[in-house]
Amino acid sequence: MAIKGVSLSVAQGELVSLIGANGSGKSTLLQAIVGLLPGWEGKMSFWDNSLKGLAPPAIVQKGISLVPEGRLIFPPLTVLDNLKLGAYTRYRKKQHREIAQDLEMVMTLFPILKERSYQAAGTLSGGEQQMLAIGRALMAKPKLLLLDEPSMGLAPLLVDRILQTLVQLRENGITILLVEQNAQAALKIADRGYVLETGRVVLQGSAQDLLADDEVKRAYLGKDYGEFYEGRA
Amino acid sequence: MDYPESEQRRQLQLERLQSTLNRAFRSVPFHQNRFHEFGMDAFQVETLSDLSKLPFMERKDLGEHYPYGLFAVPLRDIVRIHTAPGTNLNPTVTGYTKQDLNVWREMVSRALSISGVTAMDILQITFDPGLANWGRDYKDGAEALEASVIPNTPLSLEKQLMVLRDYKTTVLVTTPSSASQLASYMFRSEFNPTGLNLKTLILVGDAIENPFRAFLEDRLHVTVWLHYGLSEVPGPAMAFECENHEGLHVSEDYFFPEIINPQSGEILALGNSGELVFTSLSTRAFPLIRFRTGDKARLIAEPCSCGCPFVRIEWAGERTDQLITINGVKLRQAQILRNLEKALGFIPDKCHINKQQHSYLDKYGARSYLEVSLLMNEKLFSDEIKMLQKLINTAEEKLHENIGVPVKIKLKELGTFSDEIQ
Repeated sequence: MAIKGVSLSVAQGELVSLIGANGSGKSTLLQAIVGLLPGWEGKMSFWDNSLKGLAPPAIVQKGISLVPEGRLIFPPLTVLDNLKLGAYTRYRKKQHREIAQDLEMVMTLFPILKERSYQAAGTLSGGEQQMLAIGRALMAKPKLLLLDEPSMGLAPLLVDRILQTLVQLRENGITILLVEQNAQAALKIADRGYVLETGRVVLQGSAQDLLADDEVKRAYLGKDYGEFYEGRA
Repeated sequence: MDYPESEQRRQLQLERLQSTLNRAFRSVPFHQNRFHEFGMDAFQVETLSDLSKLPFMERKDLGEHYPYGLFAVPLRDIVRIHTAPGTNLNPTVTGYTKQDLNVWREMVSRALSISGVTAMDILQITFDPGLANWGRDYKDGAEALEASVIPNTPLSLEKQLMVLRDYKTTVLVTTPSSASQLASYMFRSEFNPTGLNLKTLILVGDAIENPFRAFLEDRLHVTVWLHYGLSEVPGPAMAFECENHEGLHVSEDYFFPEIINPQSGEILALGNSGELVFTSLSTRAFPLIRFRTGDKARLIAEPCSCGCPFVRIEWAGERTDQLITINGVKLRQAQILRNLEKALGFIPDKCHINKQQHSYLDKYGARSYLEVSLLMNEKLFSDEIKMLQKLINTAEEKLHENIGVPVKIKLKELGTFSDEIQ
């Protein structure tokens, strides 16, 4: 999906949700941020440093990590190895002690991952895989965490569990940009939100305002169109 | 007041501008067609300065798309429909969504709070019918501050003064012309302003000159605060005075101002005087995109010592078009003539229209009104003076109803008539 003329900003410590239907350009935007779509034009900066021309590893080193859509864990590798791979840019810097601490932090955040440390990641349930993908991204010690549809394919209870984790991470000082089709859930935990439609931002504002917005309700929160138009032109 | 840093403010403006343009482009054929005429698409606005590539919106566009043609949301989302006298035969119809009303409430209450209004105040609103919508917006804004509001109600001067005195009003929101009338009335009826609790006078609708401000402050023992707004669309307090009273701060988080050369349409360098153009940044129902206000203004480049980072305009009330502003209501000659024709039932041979400016020096304190001089001829003439009087009175009433400002019709004989306007 091509996206054009889009400006958005995330302040330190914020949890911002980007919502929109399939094909509205949400994932494209995230991929551009982390350097997976290097051809973009315009300006993108992180802590006043331009991200122009940077390859994904350099962007990870700057403190931006992506939890990709569909998790993209390494199924044959163990849970532990998957997590360690998330810290690969840091091993070169010999941050072994810090990495061990972070590993401990992730295991505390998701105790199930500790239990399954030596299990092949491919044998985990969907929810556990999502936790692993988030844990792996955290192993890079990001300042800004990007998540692409973390609720996809998960049972409502698990969605809640994952999103509550994001709230906790935000409280720990991590800035979060969340892309979601599940608009209601995403806005409930967010500070602010943007609504993307065919590659353009059509609305933005505080998450609370967007949740109460008729247009958002109609298009993304599953309210029936007919109910709104009954008796009116 | 908490204000965002200037860089953050620019970013917020750009983000809001882009989504406003995208929504307008998507939902309003008028905007889409006009953008295309200029070879533009909404997404091509990548910076705030790109806005200058888009076409202007003018007052006549509002009348031509009567009533709902410029609405950017379905009627289901509209919670208030407002009619203002248009500059053509059609009135101007604007709509507001729930969010729009919230935005106005925030804007007005912020402007009021900068004028020192608090929950301890009793705030009285007095407007002409043509500004009725502003009355509602001021009421909402003041209520949000938990002030005690006396909403806009048409009252005689005597009753107004009674309310002002007996209800212990501390803040009065009105037009300069009404304030002048009130001050003169108090003087004539030998009413001592020390008998009032009034301390704040918020003037809207027309610019004021310094001697008039000094006169009001001196005579009524108040501080005068000037607000700027658009009477047809979408409301008041788009710009407001701070404690320094040196120009008006534009509510830049909701409106983006430009100053253009009224002839060429080019943007003028910061600090030059020209026509004020506004683009709404968060309006949902009725977006304004590069709307030409017809008001002459200048952006003040220097930051204000009050700490409010919003840019200031210097506004002296001059216009860049032919519109006549009476008590904040804007009128076009042709529109007055058409309404006159309807009221009289025929086209007058000759007619002269002018604004009778209120004068604070006039001890009778006449309010500004529209004066229409008609040439006496056989169509008008009746040998019964009563019939003639009735015709004139009915015409005055009809005109007043249609254009929303006080009207006086004068009959003149050939020879006493200037040929300026026919």
